[in-house]
Amino acid sequence: MNITRLVIAGVGGQGTLLATRLIAETAIKQGLNVRIGETYGMAQRGGSVMGHIQIGEAYSPQIRPGDADALLGFELAEATRRGVTYLKQGGLAIVNSKRILPVEVISGMRRYPEEEKLLKLLRQVSGKVAVFDATALAEKAGDSIATNIVMLGALAIADILPFGENDILAAMKESIPARFQELNTKAFQLGAQAFREFK
Amino acid sequence: MRHPVTLNKPGETILLMGNEAIVRGALEAGIRIATSYPGTPASEIGNTFAEVAKETGIHFEWSTNEKVAFEVVYGASMCGQRGMVSMKHVGLNVALDIMEMAALRGVKGGLVFVSADDPSQHSSGQEQDQRWLAKQNCIPVLEPSDPQDAKDYTVYAYELSERSKLPAMLRTVTRVSHMRSNVKLGKLQKLDREAKFDFDQFSYVVAGFDKLFYGREREANEKLARVREEFETSPLNKLTMSGKEKVGVIAAGQTYNYVMDSLVKLGAKDRVAILKLGTSNPLPEKLVSRLLKGVEKVLVTEEPDPFVELHVKAIAKDANPKIKIYGRLNGKLPSEGELMPSIVDDSIAEMLEEKVPPNPRASLEAEAKDMIFGRMLTVCAGCPHRSSIHALKRAVKAVKGDIHKVVVNGDIGCYGLAWAPPMSYEDTYFCMGASIGVSQGMSQVGVDTVAWIGDGTFFHAAIPALMNAVQTKTNIKVVVADNGVTAMTGFQPNPQSGKTALGEPTKSISIEAIAKAVGVEHVEVVDAYDLKASEAAFRRMLQEPGVAMVISRRVCATEAIRRMRPSRPIPYSVDENRCIGCKLCLSTFGCPALNFDEEHGKAGIDPTICMGCGVCSQVCAEGCIDRRN
Repeated sequence: MNITRLVIAGVGGQGTLLATRLIAETAIKQGLNVRIGETYGMAQRGGSVMGHIQIGEAYSPQIRPGDADALLGFELAEATRRGVTYLKQGGLAIVNSKRILPVEVISGMRRYPEEEKLLKLLRQVSGKVAVFDATALAEKAGDSIATNIVMLGALAIADILPFGENDILAAMKESIPARFQELNTKAFQLGAQAFREFK
Repeated sequence: MRHPVTLNKPGETILLMGNEAIVRGALEAGIRIATSYPGTPASEIGNTFAEVAKETGIHFEWSTNEKVAFEVVYGASMCGQRGMVSMKHVGLNVALDIMEMAALRGVKGGLVFVSADDPSQHSSGQEQDQRWLAKQNCIPVLEPSDPQDAKDYTVYAYELSERSKLPAMLRTVTRVSHMRSNVKLGKLQKLDREAKFDFDQFSYVVAGFDKLFYGREREANEKLARVREEFETSPLNKLTMSGKEKVGVIAAGQTYNYVMDSLVKLGAKDRVAILKLGTSNPLPEKLVSRLLKGVEKVLVTEEPDPFVELHVKAIAKDANPKIKIYGRLNGKLPSEGELMPSIVDDSIAEMLEEKVPPNPRASLEAEAKDMIFGRMLTVCAGCPHRSSIHALKRAVKAVKGDIHKVVVNGDIGCYGLAWAPPMSYEDTYFCMGASIGVSQGMSQVGVDTVAWIGDGTFFHAAIPALMNAVQTKTNIKVVVADNGVTAMTGFQPNPQSGKTALGEPTKSISIEAIAKAVGVEHVEVVDAYDLKASEAAFRRMLQEPGVAMVISRRVCATEAIRRMRPSRPIPYSVDENRCIGCKLCLSTFGCPALNFDEEHGKAGIDPTICMGCGVCSQVCAEGCIDRRN
């Protein structure tokens, strides 16, 4: 049986959990099985977060290394960190170029690696890497908090999920309060557009 | 928007997190009361109850601590009502006294308690396997593997508890608590039982002191023996065996998922017999024996301790002494921590005498690890704790000459991250409320300390320790990092919040009034965002003889932003013309909103992260940080 496997990587507070949930809600509405494993620990305090989504007949909430069909990287370094472990050879990586500085960098203990170096590492796993500044697009839509929806918009048209962008938009309408609807629809479209340009 | 756990559509399939599924199960079982103390990975159970309590007509409370929470539910149970108490694993240590009594004296209305264990310590200071406590106290343990199980097992746990007259432990692990998956709903029910204290079962006067007090262990053991019989044929345990297999697996709780995925990967489904074990205490001995008699080797998968494995070894002595038992005890699985799909792949492959190719990414992962920082945890942008710690350091330096002339004893909560750089100012933290107790021992032997404790933790466990200090005339200094909420676990209210779990107004209990009432004479309250005033208050505290306290007060920054939505805070910014690039703000304060432009040698502030507290502007020696126009 076909299983679609997705890894979402980011930093606490980026709304990765909501993106994960929206994908899962959509899957269930299509009558599909879904398994989500989230690793967040004390992520609200600046730590890494990671979500594993499997659509289909998977048991474990964890994806094995090298098995993910796609990676949704909400933050540059986190995308590489998780991509080199989980993304399958030739899989798709959608990467937000936004950097969220960890305390090691802020306090001068470490340097943030250069974008090119990070992406070079990720590209050793797959050449299919789409990079754009999703946070800037969310700002353009009205609020950087909608970064997650920009990322979701890009994924929705990437031919990875077993359902279409309209199905996700419908789930979004149901699960997000009406006052954020305009912001989110705009963010979703900007994400889709950014991904199309990459293609 | 209605919470999906109250959806009255039996047979419908919806997406639920393990913790939400437990709440749904409790509602399907018709509970009357639920209590909890927040703690990851259990917190969402209480959060969900708080959301739906009004609508479903149950009582829910965030109790002051886990012991109180357990007692409240036990009180209702003695009056025939079903109740649920949930906590993280170490919360059960706090509730242990009453848990033991509830097991010995028995229950009337179904009493189910959730111990959300945390193998691999995703958000805990220890990896305690609480099944041992159940074993020690004759308590049946149910271990769900996923959200569907979590719901179904909860419903069953109430029937079991009432049939056996024992409290039942629903034991989850983080991967189940936080797993989201399809859950097929059952029927919601309301029991409408009359609340009546059962004098015959629980009253000393009616039942007799001797009967209630002595010889209860035997009764509990007999109850548990009946539970074991029930488990032998329970659908929670599923043995899949054709009789041709040479290899078997006993998979407890969540590890069943790893085993099933491994068998698919290895194409070994018809070569391995599997016992999915949902009841880990007491073990269904006959069922386990059947598997042990039918195979040559068996693997036991569970998390994190070899709890089942040890008992399987005991059963094997009679059932099949020659069988080889693989698991954590013989080193085939790691002796601690959670299991992972690849760990289980390897051990099953080894038993089948097959090989799994080594991880082809190992060198790439090593390169990434070398290149990328670890991303340490820290407190949020605008967090008042960062500011308090900054001021405390300055005060200790001024009064003692060196910041390390005191031992900083921290406590459990966000502020426990004070050890993280560049704050780096916390030497110890142990368990709820311990900061004030251990400080006293140090002080008694002549070592100066500061106890650093949050508001929620203060109410939970610190007050007896504070009274101890006053009564024994011990010289301790206490800083209460008071941000008004239990922030680490998701902003739950605590006794000073002035509202109940359901958001209704109630009395706000004052920390300073408690401190004064127990005899602390020097108590000051200061705004955590005011560095100068904070430093001065800390200096006075350090110079005061005896017990002295500063309450460093300011609402949690993340909570403040939540309250102001959809408005956003006005960020601060750095005047680039005046910034001299000294990095003082970054190296000593280190707010996550700060950054540094290496090319131009100037500090900067990320306006999307800054929450406008302005403390960095008080840190900057050049005065070049100000609010944006």
